[in-house]
Amino acid sequence: MTERAVAALNPQPADTSVAIAPTKLKVRDLYFYYNGFQALNGISMDIPEKKVTAIIGPSGCGKSTLLRIFNRIYAIYPKQEAKGEIVLDGENILDPGYSMNRLRGKIGMVFQKPVPFPMPIFENVAYGIRHHEKLSRPDMAIRVEQALRSAALWDEVKDKLKQNALGLSGGQQQRLCIARAIALKPEVLLLDEPTSALDPIATSRIEQLVAELTSEYTIVMVTHNMQQAARCSDLTAFMYLGELIEFDETEKIFTSPSKKQTEDYITGRFG
Amino acid sequence: MGALYLRRRITNWLALGLSMLATLIGLGFLGWILWDTLMRGISALNLRLFSTITAYGNEGGLANAMVGSLIIDLLGIAIATPIGVLAGTWLAEYAHHTKLGETIRFFNDILLSAPSIVMGLFVYTIIVLPSTALTHGNTTFSGFAGGVALALIALPVIVRTTDEMLRLVPSTLREAALSLGVPQWKLTTQILIRAARSGIVTGVLLALARISGETAPLLFTAFGNNFMTLNPMEKMASLPQIIYQYANDPGDKMHALAWAGAFVLTMFVLLLSLASRLILSRNKVSHD
Amino acid sequence: MSSQPGAIVAPLAADQRSRRDARHDRQFRWLLKICALLVLASLVGAAGATLWGGRSAFASFGWHFLVSSTWDPGNDVYGALVPVYGTIVTSFLAVMLAVPISFGIALYLSEVAPRWLRTPVSSAIELLAGIPSIIYGMWGLFIFAPFFSAHIKPWLTNYLGDSPDDGKLSWVAQHVPFIGKLFGSSYPFGASILTAGIVLAIMITPFISSVMREVFQTVPTRLKESAYALGSSTWEVSWDIVVPYTRSAVIGGILLGLGRALGETMAVTFVLGNAMQLSPSLLDPGSSIASTIANQFSEAVGLQKSTLMALAFLLFVITFIVLLIARLMLRQLARKEGT
Repeated sequence: MTERAVAALNPQPADTSVAIAPTKLKVRDLYFYYNGFQALNGISMDIPEKKVTAIIGPSGCGKSTLLRIFNRIYAIYPKQEAKGEIVLDGENILDPGYSMNRLRGKIGMVFQKPVPFPMPIFENVAYGIRHHEKLSRPDMAIRVEQALRSAALWDEVKDKLKQNALGLSGGQQQRLCIARAIALKPEVLLLDEPTSALDPIATSRIEQLVAELTSEYTIVMVTHNMQQAARCSDLTAFMYLGELIEFDETEKIFTSPSKKQTEDYITGRFG
Repeated sequence: MGALYLRRRITNWLALGLSMLATLIGLGFLGWILWDTLMRGISALNLRLFSTITAYGNEGGLANAMVGSLIIDLLGIAIATPIGVLAGTWLAEYAHHTKLGETIRFFNDILLSAPSIVMGLFVYTIIVLPSTALTHGNTTFSGFAGGVALALIALPVIVRTTDEMLRLVPSTLREAALSLGVPQWKLTTQILIRAARSGIVTGVLLALARISGETAPLLFTAFGNNFMTLNPMEKMASLPQIIYQYANDPGDKMHALAWAGAFVLTMFVLLLSLASRLILSRNKVSHD
Repeated sequence: MSSQPGAIVAPLAADQRSRRDARHDRQFRWLLKICALLVLASLVGAAGATLWGGRSAFASFGWHFLVSSTWDPGNDVYGALVPVYGTIVTSFLAVMLAVPISFGIALYLSEVAPRWLRTPVSSAIELLAGIPSIIYGMWGLFIFAPFFSAHIKPWLTNYLGDSPDDGKLSWVAQHVPFIGKLFGSSYPFGASILTAGIVLAIMITPFISSVMREVFQTVPTRLKESAYALGSSTWEVSWDIVVPYTRSAVIGGILLGLGRALGETMAVTFVLGNAMQLSPSLLDPGSSIASTIANQFSEAVGLQKSTLMALAFLLFVITFIVLLIARLMLRQLARKEGT
């Protein structure tokens, strides 16, 4: 009943995305507060499996906030609170009983600025794995190689795995962070403006990588760059002032948006 | 108008001239003190200083005092570093804006300039007196007690630098590790402290420089010993304490020995602070 | 429903790990907290230990302890006035001498000196802060005190004091009240309250000047630039803009230096003369709390030892109050910066 009511309020998400692929993350009536300020106002959306979903909107619209709820990274700061439901594989991940290890093993995240750990390249990738699994030395080596290959970084670093990761270029560091995240074999990958700190060449490498990764991962990407959303994503959500204005297939959003606000934003009339 | 302008100009030149004079006075005293320490110290330097113990007085050296200083200083650092780093970590990572955290940070700053002689008497009360009572006077003053006294002086320095250095580590590093499911204690010990490592090492070196020149807290803790000992449970000589003792002695040869000790001590302290500066500046370059 | 074949995280194991991690996190947090509390404990402990050690002195002499200048080990009667007076006067002299010099250095380094000169000069001044206090003490004893008694002290006693060598009082000593007493002395050596004040001043100058320099740099450039734009000179900008803006922090820095001076032992002990007498003259020897403890504690027993502990408690309380005010004033500027 409630679902139908929500669907009536936000007619697009439930219908269109289900038509494309099965739902991976089902968001219902999500509210978010920090220091009493309401940053998200009743978001509901269905994020489909093994597709790239882009979230766009002017700064301060709550797009990064939404992403940071998906793996509950917000919870490390005091006075931040999320209400509502996010269902992953039949369980509400916002339930306090849902363990952090399980959540963060299933949902990986890559941040705006590349943040390699102050340790060798190999260790950067192995560090997270070690926390979730006990692997033998050769198994670990295979696993790290796989991750680095998936992140299209292997050929560039295979001869310097023992060197400090801080010596890599910005683009390489960001791909290392992606490798680090996918080394845990997550089901969902969250990318928070992953190219905003990179030059155009590194950016196109990452975009290419995102396209390759959709065969295995459900990807949710926040971006302030509309062209990037148009190029890389299957679906696009437009947010404004803490609300989800429109969520639909990317092509539709960029060619014939159904909401005036979306159109204004896409055509550059504000934001 | 012209007169006013002239008066303002003269005032300006006078004030700026006086500021330069003040700087010259400061530098002058620095030069004076270093010059005397170097000249008198170097002229009293010889190999006996490093090979003979103070039991021979006039004819002796300072070997036991140097070894004792090294042991007591390292003991102090060994005690203060883990506690200081952990306490600083708590302030930076767990007690950011809590009342207790602010309070401890505030009192740590006060401890930073608390009179060291009082710290010596504190350790005398909590270590020397009880150990005298427990061992029926067999163990009274000890190198260990000296180490604890110096640790109390090093502690606030290390707490403060650790706190400051960890707060410089970008919070994205914390988020990145936590988003891999790494628990906070691993994140802190394996990533954050590593990221702030060179800053923390600088703090430890500065603390070492600070305590290696301390005399007052050692007088009633390590006390002094004219013989060589490596056992921290015995009375132990230290360089500053021997300098204090010899400088107060009427004999000229003792004074020469005191100058030699002062020279060694000053060089040690200045090299340490130089080293910590180098580490810090190298670190800055690599961050930019 | 749609668990991927490659997913590595088995729910049960992950939940167990989560619980274990949470437990370890809690334990780790407690360990850190205990270490942080040790900082407080050492402060409280130092106050408590000296108060406890001085309890029989406080009990025997009561409030009279604070105002009595008696120091008589023979009859076991002690008063704190002489060392407390010496501590406070040497420290105030030190601050009075150090403040103008420190202000000059800070001003020179932040506004006047050419850029290339700032780093080397400020490093040199900071070097002065790194020299161990025992070195100051030795230098004071062997170099400065003899220099003082040969060149400065005669001038002071003859032109300002009430007991000049030739017996003829100077105009200043005749007409300015108290000055004759302050600078009259028949003590032949260089060790004196003034000597200790000067050595202390050299010691605390780098502390005060580095705090001043730091706080001067917090003045927003736009504030200074707008004053320069009105045609103000460097001095006018410094005195009318920089100093008022940073006043509370500057006072905090000065008090920080005062705190250092009050608690300093070695630099003072060598040049103060260690006389347990109360003299109005700055050129006579005296003693401070720290120097009295350093000189007498090893040989003291019974009530004398307790008295020294009581003195240490007094010293701790005095410095604590001064440093407390210093830190509070420094924090005000930090707040201003934050908003």
